[in-house]
Amino acid sequence: MIDERIFRRFNHTIAACFVIYFLFPEKIIGLERYYLIFLFWLLVIGIEVARFQKNVEILGLRDYEKNRIAGFVWFASGACLLLGVYELDLAPQSFVIGTIIMAAYTDPVIGEANQRYDDKWGVILGLGCSFIIYQLIIGVFFYAIIGSIVAVIAERPKIKWFDDDLAMQIIPIFVMCFLHSYGIGPELVEQGLIIKEGL
Amino acid sequence: MKITRLYIMILYLVLVICSLLFIVKEHYNIAILLILGNALPGYTLAKSIMRENEN
Repeated sequence: MIDERIFRRFNHTIAACFVIYFLFPEKIIGLERYYLIFLFWLLVIGIEVARFQKNVEILGLRDYEKNRIAGFVWFASGACLLLGVYELDLAPQSFVIGTIIMAAYTDPVIGEANQRYDDKWGVILGLGCSFIIYQLIIGVFFYAIIGSIVAVIAERPKIKWFDDDLAMQIIPIFVMCFLHSYGIGPELVEQGLIIKEGL
Repeated sequence: MKITRLYIMILYLVLVICSLLFIVKEHYNIAILLILGNALPGYTLAKSIMRENEN
């Protein structure tokens, strides 16, 4: 059998590829690219509905996810929401890219560290991982440190109807956008626009 | 199981294509993050599949 734990981790980290959206052309087959976000989200919801109605077994799901919304739905919903927020001009691009990649990597890092060592290492490695990603993408120390702390805090509570896969995306970006838009935080490099044009 | 393998192969392909596209567009920081972040789980999963093949 394929190692389900590794399979689950890989499914999580590969979700960083969501940021390929920013390389898409503005229009695809005559349609604005943001329609793709909605279509993709509907596809994910469709898979989840089919899983519940037809009792489809999906490899890599945790036991407790069998009777509730699966992690991939929470993550995809969060990523689609962030992309939508960017299209509505409510969040800078660098925050969105940084947060999607950060959430894709930091959650598995915390999970592995908690399992192999203890919670303290989970927090330390989670902070380190999220800080490095934010610093590499956003390039502003202030947002990297705030974003990473908020992300690790958002991962902690285990709430049935508000998964950490969603929380780790929307809470840090909300805090960073709040600090940025009210002028509390410093200005962003090139107004936060990393990818200026698609393919 | 065949569907799972096909799905995993598609994931690897997606990762390679996305990384290459970011390299082509000179967004090296994003490409490096995609490659490095997926290297360990991707390698471990590939090892797990190969071990299963041997069995």
